Order: sequence, then structure tokens, then C-alpha cells
Amino acid sequence: MTRTTRRRARLAAAALVAVSIALTGCSAASASSDADGGSLTYLDAEIPTSAQVQEAGTWQTRALQQNITDRLLYRNAETGELEPWIADSWTVSPDGLTYTFVIRDGVTYSDGTAVDATSVAKNLNWQSTGDEAKGTTPNAQFPPGLVATPDDATSTVTVVLAAPYAPFLNVLTGWGSGLVADATIDASKEEQSKFVNLIGSGPFVVASETYGKEIVLDRREGYAWAPPSSPNQGEAHLASVTVIPVQEDSVRLGTLKSGEADVIRYVQPSEEQGLVDAGYDIVSKTGVGLSNQWFLRSQAPFLDDVDVRKALLHAIDREQIIETQYTDSWTPATSVLSPGTFGYVDESAKFAYDPDAANRLLDGAGWTERDADGYRTKGGERLTVKTYIDVYDNTAKSLFQQIQNQFKDVGIELSLNELDYSTYWATAFADPEVGALRVGWPHPDPSKGLSEYYSKDGSDLLGLAGSDTTLQSLLDAQNAATDDDTRAAILGQIQDHLIDQAYVVPILNDSQVFVTQHRVKGFSLTDGALPEFYNTSIED
Amino acid sequence: MSNQHPNASAADTRRRQYREYVIRRVAQALLVIALVYTLVFFTLFVLPGDPIENKLTSPLNPLPPSAGEALRAYYHFDLSPIEQFTLTVGRLLHGDLGYSLVSGRAVSDLVAQGFSDTIVLAGVAFVMTIVLSLAIALTAVYAPVRAIRSIAASAPIASISAPSFLIGFVLLAIFSFQLGWVSSVRDQGFVSYVLPALTLALAVNGPLTQVLIQGLRKAADEPFVTVLRAKGTSEVRIALVHVLKNGAIPSITMLALVVGELLAGAVVVEAVFTRTGLGFITFESVRDQDTPVILAVVILISSIYVGINLVTDLVYPVLDPRIVRPGHGRSRRSRLARPAVATAAATGTAVPGGIPTKASVDA
Repeated sequence: MTRTTRRRARLAAAALVAVSIALTGCSAASASSDADGGSLTYLDAEIPTSAQVQEAGTWQTRALQQNITDRLLYRNAETGELEPWIADSWTVSPDGLTYTFVIRDGVTYSDGTAVDATSVAKNLNWQSTGDEAKGTTPNAQFPPGLVATPDDATSTVTVVLAAPYAPFLNVLTGWGSGLVADATIDASKEEQSKFVNLIGSGPFVVASETYGKEIVLDRREGYAWAPPSSPNQGEAHLASVTVIPVQEDSVRLGTLKSGEADVIRYVQPSEEQGLVDAGYDIVSKTGVGLSNQWFLRSQAPFLDDVDVRKALLHAIDREQIIETQYTDSWTPATSVLSPGTFGYVDESAKFAYDPDAANRLLDGAGWTERDADGYRTKGGERLTVKTYIDVYDNTAKSLFQQIQNQFKDVGIELSLNELDYSTYWATAFADPEVGALRVGWPHPDPSKGLSEYYSKDGSDLLGLAGSDTTLQSLLDAQNAATDDDTRAAILGQIQDHLIDQAYVVPILNDSQVFVTQHRVKGFSLTDGALPEFYNTSIED
Repeated sequence: MSNQHPNASAADTRRRQYREYVIRRVAQALLVIALVYTLVFFTLFVLPGDPIENKLTSPLNPLPPSAGEALRAYYHFDLSPIEQFTLTVGRLLHGDLGYSLVSGRAVSDLVAQGFSDTIVLAGVAFVMTIVLSLAIALTAVYAPVRAIRSIAASAPIASISAPSFLIGFVLLAIFSFQLGWVSSVRDQGFVSYVLPALTLALAVNGPLTQVLIQGLRKAADEPFVTVLRAKGTSEVRIALVHVLKNGAIPSITMLALVVGELLAGAVVVEAVFTRTGLGFITFESVRDQDTPVILAVVILISSIYVGINLVTDLVYPVLDPRIVRPGHGRSRRSRLARPAVATAAATGTAVPGGIPTKASVDA
């Protein structure tokens, strides 16, 4: 290569860089001005992992499932009522064993196959049994022994259960109950893990996917089967949604502020007010289900005494926690369920912040001595409760530390321990010394959620193994209570009992916080606090 | 040419020795990789928790015990550690790396995606590192103003102590958030590599620059510079050709280290710049204890490290054949021989390229 051509090559390279930088500038400016709603860039805080239907559970995966698939029933986030969706109507037999769904006509999956009775029945059976040969587990929300039979002539699906299961209709509204095409069900587990292979009938279709980097959702052409209460009954307004996971909080926020992103999930609470002042919109919601709570294990040291447990309930100043660490997007928990959840009862009067009451209870329980550090002792032992800091919540560390300080005020030591992400479940939940751990997230059905946590047949987080027969029989009675009033009454009793026995310390209502550019309109969150792009548009 | 025969046989011996040396070193390298793999495999068994166990114990989605057993059986987690090791190694020998326990994606796809991205990033960063190091070192030794020289000389310390995530954020804040020249989150091809590569280069060049500065200073004081000056060679030519050639040799051995640093640094830099290279794959798999992915990353990274060391080891005897000779008895002699070489090098004449050869030493 002669010197001149080399110089020319260098000039060409420089020009190329300059041009590409210029193009970048242009595309960033024009990205959201497509006709008809435009294209939206959404930054999630985590990496969507597996699209496999029965396994998906993370926030970032649910958000995608929510927009890609439709469900049989829709729960209106405003009213909490169940509405028709892919099922035009449904009936439940008086014994709670037979459900009949009439399937809406004319609905198709994005691969063109029909969402008919046969397909719906196949989905329900698959959800209930999984596919052992493929290593696919059953959907934990579905009742085992379910048999769904299609009748395409009448477009009905008849579901027969082995035992009554009152949470069933609520479960069918959940993100994990999205209907998928045969192509998805018949694929191998590994193929199902890819979002491009998640073939639903929802308002968006996965156009492309690069693992960890980007998932592009395109508007589903011809979509015309939104729930009847939806303001939009046609195709989505947005032509496309680009989902980019950005795990660094400051980069996500910086990208929003630079105008390159339209919606981001999660900002640190301390940033919220500044964003509101700068003209951004905060969209937040507490999903229906369980509140953010600490369960107390009565086999752990010192927690066998109900008065000690009750003292913990009264020792936490939730208002102070919200004031110092959180924002208006967050609220103190008022029960083991979050407000707006079916059967929710406000229990907050029973665990109001009352250090005097906490001190009285602890004195009465014999914890009258104090050691050099100011902690209560009895028989030479310090009153210590061991916990591990929740690894799934960015604000957990400062939250736990504040509770540690509040406990210290009444003479209780909260021993904080840290684990990394991969060892948290296996270590923290198996540690017999652990007195309290944080749980509590949105759930499509409160009965199922409470049973999963606290029944001897679920995770048995309280470690009671059914020894509290009142609690166990209440939890068991829920499934048969297909009558709403009866079930609401039982849920009320369960909430009473969990608080009266101080098995659970409600902390705050778990919120999902999103920030949007002011130009983003109609962005809303579902009953489960998931982002819904169907009604969203971008205005100039 | 009467002594052609003894010379040829000496060359044969040398060639044979080199061949044995190569075989020995390659075998050692393979052994290291196998040992690292085995060690990591069994360490992962000792550590508590894995994605499947987490799935089963998580109160979010508790599975009935029967489903748990089926899931464990599907992933062969019901086998003993030794059986699993045999199975995994057997598959590995057939080129099957398995599937991620978290994302369900083929490990070969994940690693290929990560590697193809990081190799470009590391390549660009490598070039930037060399350019940066040369620029800083030449400034530190030859800048006309003393203040500039000392600032440049302290640059390596700043590089070593500045955390790369901080450098990354500052670059992002200026070029992406303020100027909007390049996207902070989208991949725009080659342009997107510039900032992360620069971040890596800024973070990694410290040790290399330091050695280069010392090498240049030392070379600049050698008598051959005086000789060259007396011959009327221009200062620029002395600096850029003669001093650089002689002074840069020690830092060449640092280059292998730089490659390692670039790969390690990629973990942080890729997180800041939202890139999905090998650093990202490594971070995610370790965070989730995603065994198949971790093992694949371990093989790849250990192969790269061992490979670079191997190349260094194999190239070095070509530069200095004394290394090949087995036995320790010779080492003393070669150490004794060195001053002679240094003198020869100092005159800037006898030794081609400034590197002692066996022939020149024996002479």
C-alpha cells in the first residue's frame, strides 16, 4: 500500500466515523416520530431470561408475556372485576368441579393458527401437567388433575377438576396463564426458552431477540380482541416496542434524560422527586396479591413466645421508613394482603407503631435485663433475631438497617446477614437460626398465594407443619369456597389469625415504579403492576 | 564453509530440543486447563444453591415434590457428582456444552455471542492501550517541559487507581448523555466499541506504561545514545527508533498480561456500557450459579490465558535459545554470559535486534 492510499483509507475511515455519528444523532431524534403512535424504547432493569411459560416468574419476563399473550379472563385493574377476554363467557358448577368456557370467535395466534376450543384445552392441560419428557414442570398455580375437553362445534371448553379450586378463575387472569400456539407447546424446552418462539395472540409479536441485549416487539397486524373494557379495540397504537435491559440504575436514568428512552422501569426512590420536577411522569402501582412482609418462625430462638413476636409487630415505624427512604409511590403495609386484593382486610390498627406496647410485651415476657449494648437479655442470653437481607430488592439493605435501628430502640437485636444472589434461597431458608425473612409479592390469587407461603402443603415458611390447626384448616378451606362471599370471609379470618398470632410482620406494599417521558401517553400498569403497551402512544 | 557440518548438527540438536520443549509445554497447558475445569466443576457442587434448586425452594413458585424430582432428573442432578462429571466431560468431548439452566439457551450460542463481541472490544482496547502507553511513555521521557514529563510519569498511577466503572460513567455522561454522539444502550456497530474500549485502555495501560517509561529512561541513558548523538543522528530518530527499540523489549512480555487484564476488565466495562459480551455472560452465570455456562467460560478463559502464556513461552526460545536447554547447570553460565551481551547491545552493533542469540553468546 502506498502512502497516499493509506492516507486516503484513513480519511475514509474518519469520514465513516463522522457520518455514522451524524446518523446516530438523526436516528435518535426521529426514533419516536413514526406515524400512528410511533416506536417506543423501554429500558427494563433486569435481563429477561427464559420465555418458557410454566417457568417464567421474574418481573422482566412477566412484562413481556403480558404484552405477547392473551388470557381467557381479564381482571380490570381499576375495578378488580373479572371480565371476558378470550373466553366470551364462563360458568362454574355449584360443586366447583366443572368450569365451562365459551371461546371467542375469530382469534388467531401470530403464526396464523386459530385460538379455538382445541387450542385452549391443550393449553390448560399442558399448564396443569407440564411435560415430564421435556423437563417442563407444571404451572404451580394450576390445580393438578385438571382435564380440559374441547368442543369446537360449540366453541366450548369444559374443564373438570379433581377437587374444587376456588382460585382458578383468578389464576387464569395471571401472566403465567397466557395462551400459546401449538408451535410453542410442541417445541423443546430449550426452544420454548426463546422469546421469538413464544407465539401468542396478544397485541404485540416478538420480531427479534438478542439475548441480554434487545427484544423488539412489533404491533400485531389485525389485532381485534382486546377485553371489552379496553379503550382501544383495534391494533396497538405503537408500531413497535424495543425492550432493552439496562441493569445499571444511573445508565438507565441517564439514557431516559438524554431522550433516547421513553419508559424505564425502576429508579432509586431518591431520584423520583427530581424527575417529577423536571417534567417526567412517574407511573407506579402496587400489584394485587401479598404485601411485602417478614414471616416469623416460631422454632427460631426466642420467637416461640407470641408476645415477643407481637413486640416485633409494634416496634416498626412504617411511616418513618416511607418518609425517610421511599416516596409517594410506596405505602406502609396494612395487612398480609395488599389493598385492592380480593378479600383484603385492613389490619393496620393491630400493628400500629407503638414502642411502649412493644416494651410492655417484652417486659412481660421476661426480657427485663439489659446488656452493655442496651439489648434486652434473659438468663444471660441476648434477644436476637437473625435475618438475611433480601437479594431481590435494591432498597432492601437500607430498609433492613432502618428496621434494625427501630428494633434496637426497644432492645431487640436484629442480626443482619448477607448472601449473594445464587445462594440466597438455599441458604437463608434452610438456616434453622433464621427468625425472619422477607417475602411478599403480587400474586394472581390471594388464597393460592397464602397457601403457597404458609400451608404445610406449600413452602410452609412458618415451619408449623400444620401444628396450628386453626391456620391450616382455614388455608385448606379456601379451595372449596367457590362462593365469593364465603371465600372473602375465610381470607379475612386468615389475615386476622396471621396478625393476631404475630406470625407475619407486614412491612410495606411492594410497588413497581416506572418513569416515562411526558410525550408517552396511555402507559398503564395491569392489576399485577406489569407494563401494558397496548393503549400506549407517543405524542409530539 | 568448512565447519558447515558441526553447525548443522548443532542446529539439529537445537531443533530437536525445541520440539521436545514445545510438546512438553503444550502438554502442560492442556493439563492446566483440565485441572482448572475439574476444580471448578467440583467447587460448584460444594457451593450451596443452583438455579434448579432455587426454582424448587423459591416460595414464589413452589413445585410439588414429584415435579421437583422430574426436573432434577431432566438435568441429571439426581446423579452423583462423579457420574455427572463423567457425563459432562463425555458430552464436552463431543463438542456439546449443554444448555443454560437459567435462560435455556445453548451454551455454545451464549459463549459465541459473548466471545464475538468481546474479542472486538478487547482488540480495539488492545490497540488503544499500546498507543496510549507509547504516547504517555514518550511524553514522560522526552517532553520538553519538566512539568509535563512528571505529569505523564504519574499517569500510570492514576490509571491503576481510577476505577474503570467511574471512567466509563464519565465517558457515557459526556459523549452519550450530553453530546448524544453515541447511544448509551443501543448497539450501533463499530462506533459503540469506542467508548468501552477507551475505558478499558485507560484502566489497563498503567503497568504497561510504567514498564515502558522505565525501559525508555534506562535505554536513553545507555552509552549507545551518546555514540549515536556523536554520529549526528537526530534526536527524534534516536528517540523513536533506537531508544524505543531497545527500551520497549521488557514491556513486550507485559502484553500477555494486558490481554488478561482486558478480559477481566470486560466484566465491569460491559456492565456499564450495557454490552452483552463475555464479561456479561461471565457475570450473569456466576451470579446465578449457572453451572454449564460457568464451565464453558472457564474453559474458554483458561484456554486463552494458557494459550497466551504458551505462545510467549514458545516464542521466547526463538528469541533466546538458552531457555530450551534442559538442566539447571546451564543457567549459571547464561547468567554469566549476559553482561557480555549487554555490552554488545550497548554498542548498538553486534546483536541484531538487541536480542542475544546462542551464537553471539558462544562467540
